[in-house]
Amino acid sequence: MRTKGILLAMALSVASFGAAAQDIGVGLIVPLSAPGDATGGQLIRRGAEIGIEMVNAQGGVLGKKMQLFVQDSQGKPEAGVAAYRRLVSENKVVAVPGFFHSSVSIAVNEVAKDMGVPTLAVQASASDITAKHYDIAFRTHVVDPVRVETWMTFIKQKGFKRVSLIAETTDYGIGLADETLAQAKKMGGIEVQKVMFDRTVTDLTPQLLQVKAFKPDMVINIGVGQPLDLIMDQATTIGLLPNTPMLISYDAPTRPQFWQLHEKNGNGIYFIAYYSPKSKLSDIGDQFAKAYKEKYKEDPVYGALNGFGAVMILAQAIKAGNSADPKTLIKTLESGTYKSWPDAPVTFPKADGVYWHNWVPPVLILHYTAAKQDWKDAEVTVTYSKK
Amino acid sequence: MYSTELVVQTFISGVMIGVLYALMALGITFIYSIMRMINWAMGEFYMIGSYLQYMLVAWLLGPDLWWLAILVATAGVFGLGLLTEWSLLKPISSKAAEVRSDYATVITLALLLMLRSLATGIAGPNQFTPGSNLPIVMVGPMPMAGARVAAFVFALVALGVFWAVLRYTWYGLALRATAQSRVGVQTAGIDVLRVDRVAFGIGVALAGLAGALLAPVFLVFPTNGLVTTVKGFEIVVIGGLGSIPGALIAGVLLGLIESFGAAFIDSAYQNIYGFVLVLLVLVLRPTGLFGERGREA
Repeated sequence: MRTKGILLAMALSVASFGAAAQDIGVGLIVPLSAPGDATGGQLIRRGAEIGIEMVNAQGGVLGKKMQLFVQDSQGKPEAGVAAYRRLVSENKVVAVPGFFHSSVSIAVNEVAKDMGVPTLAVQASASDITAKHYDIAFRTHVVDPVRVETWMTFIKQKGFKRVSLIAETTDYGIGLADETLAQAKKMGGIEVQKVMFDRTVTDLTPQLLQVKAFKPDMVINIGVGQPLDLIMDQATTIGLLPNTPMLISYDAPTRPQFWQLHEKNGNGIYFIAYYSPKSKLSDIGDQFAKAYKEKYKEDPVYGALNGFGAVMILAQAIKAGNSADPKTLIKTLESGTYKSWPDAPVTFPKADGVYWHNWVPPVLILHYTAAKQDWKDAEVTVTYSKK
Repeated sequence: MYSTELVVQTFISGVMIGVLYALMALGITFIYSIMRMINWAMGEFYMIGSYLQYMLVAWLLGPDLWWLAILVATAGVFGLGLLTEWSLLKPISSKAAEVRSDYATVITLALLLMLRSLATGIAGPNQFTPGSNLPIVMVGPMPMAGARVAAFVFALVALGVFWAVLRYTWYGLALRATAQSRVGVQTAGIDVLRVDRVAFGIGVALAGLAGALLAPVFLVFPTNGLVTTVKGFEIVVIGGLGSIPGALIAGVLLGLIESFGAAFIDSAYQNIYGFVLVLLVLVLRPTGLFGERGREA
């Protein structure tokens, strides 16, 4: 009986390694549980999965199927690094897209630069992800300076003079807070209050009382996932919201869960977004949007689009380089032009500073003007493109 | 530099969260005092309480009957506690006393992982809120969510009832006697295993009650019990393991230290202030503020 069991286990493991050897493995590191932004991770995962299905439905790449290996980073750098090692060592993946939390992306890149398998950050914006100019580091997302330039444009447009930042003590929060202080100093005439918090804290009342005492014209909410929602709710209870406008630093309010959580205090919120239905999609972007809507009965949001885009870019690069070798893939990504979900070519030039290997989508500030408003109907307050 | 209003508001905020912290920690210390074991899955019973509250309010009772939902959710967690004790912990009562605590640690840690994974598998990783129709209330100079004020009042009432039951009922006497001497109560004809089961049920029900009360304030998601576990153990160390008054005082002390530290020193280190207090207590009074030196027979 025991011998039979061992033989069965051996047969199964041979079968599974055999399958892996025939496919081209792509890793995906996203947060799928707290303290990470699990909803954000789930959306990227949905997009990447549909991307894999679409590539394989068209015959795969280099005559092989693509296979997605998903790992949960929990929004923690150490879990992300362990996930990357597992993907490269055990699953033999050729690239690792994903990354929602900047801290995870930065930590993984430190290991990836030695292990040699490229990473492609789709929703992590800290400068250090690409500013270190590592060969393996690629990104298709907004970087800190561009995000801050967008809200500084908004602050100027509205004539605000006192702005409070309430930011988590992560690479994302610290990076954005410091960049805002630097740009505000350069711009002049704006007083910025910086209030930081640990993202595991659930009672943010002491921080919000400080913000309220500062009497700001606007509050920038730089929380990711659960802290973002807690800040909104707790700011409402102490009378900060809706009296003071609040800007959310990323596109969380486009998610279906937003109005379930903020039915009473979501109206009037401003938020950063990277995609509006008014933006034109590429042909593959259109195909994806249809497939997504059919599968999930809702329109895709940016995270899903960018997760899909990452898989499509990698498939095109493997095909263009006629190789799934990570080193060749890096060279091909650097030199080629790729099609993703937006109606604009995607490139990863060896550019200066933070723009190294970085394609930046246009950034928008959207505004909910009614309760339970569909994000597609939100008012577009600012559209900013990096020149 | 800082206004009196900010100081008063910070004080109110600290006391309110402190009482809720105390409720979270009370179950841990109560179970330890009776059963001489630490329940590492306490946060997961908080999580279950919050999910039950969400389901009852969102699907069955509606936001106006939130108070009924809290009672039902707490009773549900109490029932689950009885079942857990009977199925997982009672079997280890036959083991030697010195290894019983080790077995309990392994079992409750496994339970923690299982319940957390189960919640993620069933409800997904997303956050939920049962919502609340309670209006914002002025507490002194500070506006506060009706749900948070209700949680505070409910917590005070629950703590009062808990104290009264322990102090004035026969069963409370049996529980206190068991905490003093498990052998002694058996000579008086009290079924210790039954007392264990009820104590475990009450202990986890306190965590479930905290979860149900705080569901509209701190949201509902699979790992929301983590704060209960972390704060709970901080409070137990500060107040003294097994000391119920110690848990209450340490809870309020922790709430105040965190609030004032975050408001007037540096908000980024809010979690650290509590740990500094824990370290100070461990150095100056290792048994906790109200703890007593243990005696091994």
